Amino acid sequence: MTSRIPGRALRGAVAAAATIALGAGLVGCGDNSGSSEDGGSQGKDTVTVAFRTPNWILPISAPGFTQGENAIFGQALYRSLYQYRLDGTAQYNIDPQRSMAEPPQVSNGGRTLTITLKDNSWSDGTPITTRDIQFWYDLVTANKDKWASYRAGGFPDNVEKWSIEDEKTFSITTTEVYNTAWFVDNQLNRITPLPQHVWDKDSATAEVSDLASSPEGAKKVFDFLTAAAKDPKTYDSNELWQVNSGAWKLEEYVPNGEVTLAAQPNYSGTDKPKLSKVVLRPFTSDDAEFNVLRAGDIDYGYVPAANMSQTSYLESKGYTVSPWYGWSITYLQLNYNNPKSGVLFKQPYLRQSLQMLIDQPTISKVIWSDTAAPTCGPVPAKPGTNTDAAGCAYSFDPAKSKELLESHGWKVTPDGQTTCQSPGTGPNQCGEGIAAGTPLEFTVTSQTGFAATTKMFAEIKSQMAKLGIQLTIKEVPDSVAVTPTCKPTEASCSWDMSFFGSQGSWYYPAFASGERLFATDAPVNLGSYSNPEADKLIEATQFAGDESALTAYNDFLARDLPVLWMPNPVYQVSAYRSGLQGVEPQDPMNLMYFQDWSWK
Amino acid sequence: MSTLSEAVGSVEPNDTPPRGLWRQGLTVFCENRLALVGLGLFVLLAGVCFLGPLVYQTDQVHTDLTAVYLAPGEQGHLLGTDGVGYDQLGRLMLGGQTSIIVGLAAGVLATIVGTLLGAIAGFFGGWVDAAVMRVVDAMMSIPSLFLFMLLAAIVTPSAPMLILIIGAFAWLGPARLVRGEALTLRSREYVQAMRGMGGTGGRAVRRHIIPNAIGTVIVNATFQVADAILYVAYLSFLGLGIPPPAANWGGMLSDGLADTYSGHWWLLYPPGIAIILIVLAFNFIGDGLRDAFEVRLRRR
Repeated sequence: MTSRIPGRALRGAVAAAATIALGAGLVGCGDNSGSSEDGGSQGKDTVTVAFRTPNWILPISAPGFTQGENAIFGQALYRSLYQYRLDGTAQYNIDPQRSMAEPPQVSNGGRTLTITLKDNSWSDGTPITTRDIQFWYDLVTANKDKWASYRAGGFPDNVEKWSIEDEKTFSITTTEVYNTAWFVDNQLNRITPLPQHVWDKDSATAEVSDLASSPEGAKKVFDFLTAAAKDPKTYDSNELWQVNSGAWKLEEYVPNGEVTLAAQPNYSGTDKPKLSKVVLRPFTSDDAEFNVLRAGDIDYGYVPAANMSQTSYLESKGYTVSPWYGWSITYLQLNYNNPKSGVLFKQPYLRQSLQMLIDQPTISKVIWSDTAAPTCGPVPAKPGTNTDAAGCAYSFDPAKSKELLESHGWKVTPDGQTTCQSPGTGPNQCGEGIAAGTPLEFTVTSQTGFAATTKMFAEIKSQMAKLGIQLTIKEVPDSVAVTPTCKPTEASCSWDMSFFGSQGSWYYPAFASGERLFATDAPVNLGSYSNPEADKLIEATQFAGDESALTAYNDFLARDLPVLWMPNPVYQVSAYRSGLQGVEPQDPMNLMYFQDWSWK
Repeated sequence: MSTLSEAVGSVEPNDTPPRGLWRQGLTVFCENRLALVGLGLFVLLAGVCFLGPLVYQTDQVHTDLTAVYLAPGEQGHLLGTDGVGYDQLGRLMLGGQTSIIVGLAAGVLATIVGTLLGAIAGFFGGWVDAAVMRVVDAMMSIPSLFLFMLLAAIVTPSAPMLILIIGAFAWLGPARLVRGEALTLRSREYVQAMRGMGGTGGRAVRRHIIPNAIGTVIVNATFQVADAILYVAYLSFLGLGIPPPAANWGGMLSDGLADTYSGHWWLLYPPGIAIILIVLAFNFIGDGLRDAFEVRLRRR
């Protein structure tokens, strides 16, 4: 009898050994793996960017397609009427250079805004006029239920009169006197001129007409355009998308793959592109992206939090590493409509107790490698500031958290299961709708693909377990998609908590009011939070003439905890070749202006 | 000729009783050094995973952000700590428990299901055989890892769920093997005699087909266990394993890769090596058992 290594053993061992060897190889690369500073650049007039594949091209946002990459892609092809910047130097935060119109003239006691367009043209040479603005208005007014930016009472419901003065001028009269800064920053930011002379039809073969002038016609046109936008494989061939107002045109589009933008030769804006091409390359995970970045095969990428220690290596290879701070907040969404956990979340003391178990400063420092900062309320801190939780209403305090639970009738069982011991609505009881024996156990629906997020929830789960609060972490690719706004009777309402903030949960427009997030029935109020006092304060921010209303709103929600505030990570830690100019400053509102980029 | 003479001359009356079949098998198994090494490895790994925590006690429930990425030996952590402060050696033991339990249970489940269905299909033949084997063929035509990933993405993974998922698809191999055995065994005289005396088909399967195919079944079971451990590792590596703070070696390997560039080698090598060793151990044991059963049959 002979001893031998069986074939199966070899196969199994080889599979595992290969994995180890791969890792060993990577480790072995250490600080001297080969990559050249110029390698990967496809020439000095092209730049390759790590970027998720956008999946929406129509510049009217649709529910489920509001991801950041779609906004950046959309702006490259179709400019919004106004562009904004947060450096505090411009009236209403309007970027005078990039915007397609002059700042609005306010009259009629603040109710009428008159807007004059600058001289611009479509890529086919047709001038951009108020007809193109009217076309956009007709489409969103007739189809507001299909528009992701719509909120009942908001634009265009708050427009009393919309009038076209001439080819260059139009005016908007509002139903009430709004805070002009709010209206300009958060309402007019949605206006995007659309090429009426190309799109105003209801089929590919129909002639362009004034179909959208009537609500019925506008519905048909909108359906036609939406259907075309839902067919990504035709993005680079459909004639609809060939006429643009942006600095770029779409040269090639591979669904779920690479996207190539080429400089628009007929671009009429003043910020002409300096590069001839931008290649947007998607990656399946942080690790995959970082491997390619480290190998020098992309010009612009990002450093995952787990690899922050590699910053100096990247810098030695000719990359500039720079955090991209966002005008954003990050939170853990609670589902108030969940038939089981909703009654628990409706108890303010319980939300406070849970919040006090989240050690934001330490998580930001250790797990996010100092690339995150605590979120204390709904109004973001100035990007890059507030690295501690000094201003937070409920800082990390497990002892106080425990005390709060016990004082409300909960039997706290450390590392066991905390349950309600004193049901009822009295001051020392669990609260309305909470039965005796109700356990504190929740499921968090989180995101896959972010190592720091996984570690963060391991830490939070651990802290909660110490007070007998059982947290189950379920990671899915798209946590927003599986945790929709819902009614208690719906099957989809079984989720407890949702996290989608690995790159920040919410990026504000220039005016950080919460009408889309925390107002009752707001479009992005996924957890159905509702508080009349909050509604009143949110509404006040739209009418107040100064910052006091915003402060009052922030202070109230910071304490009321509509969500659990979480460490707010930078959008990403960008790494770009040092020869690439114009990347900075990185827009806190999460847009990218490739036309500013150039090679030294 | 001399050889023949010596051989003939060596035949003498033997007063010692014949050794039992199991004992013969054990002897042959023990002659296979690699099989012994495999058995030793398994005992060692299982001992470390299940008894180790009694000696080397660590907190695998609570994170400790003040002690992340400690190198081996620092602050009493023999194998260092990971990105949330879990002791890596303790985690290796905890992860090993999951990997071994899920691997063994899934392997046993697949073997039981496969053996029963294979024996029934092979013995009864006809439409029963056709139906079972077409199901096997159909399921074998789809890569099993793909099916595991699909199911793991649909349901929330847990240890019992992983056992069911892997067991639900890993029975195909044993079913085919046992069916082949059953096709041969059903025409044997003792089976025919039993049937002639009024024995039922169920009794034939239970008392004759399965017992006589047991050698094949046991050998295959060891490979099933090894495969199941690897599948657990694959799924966890792809992010479809049991969520934290539960651990298994595949998930630890995956996490370790994310930290590779940071030089935290202790998060990568130990789980990887552990997977190699446990898979090798089961394959060596299976190889030894195959020899043992084959020899036993030959000597009988």
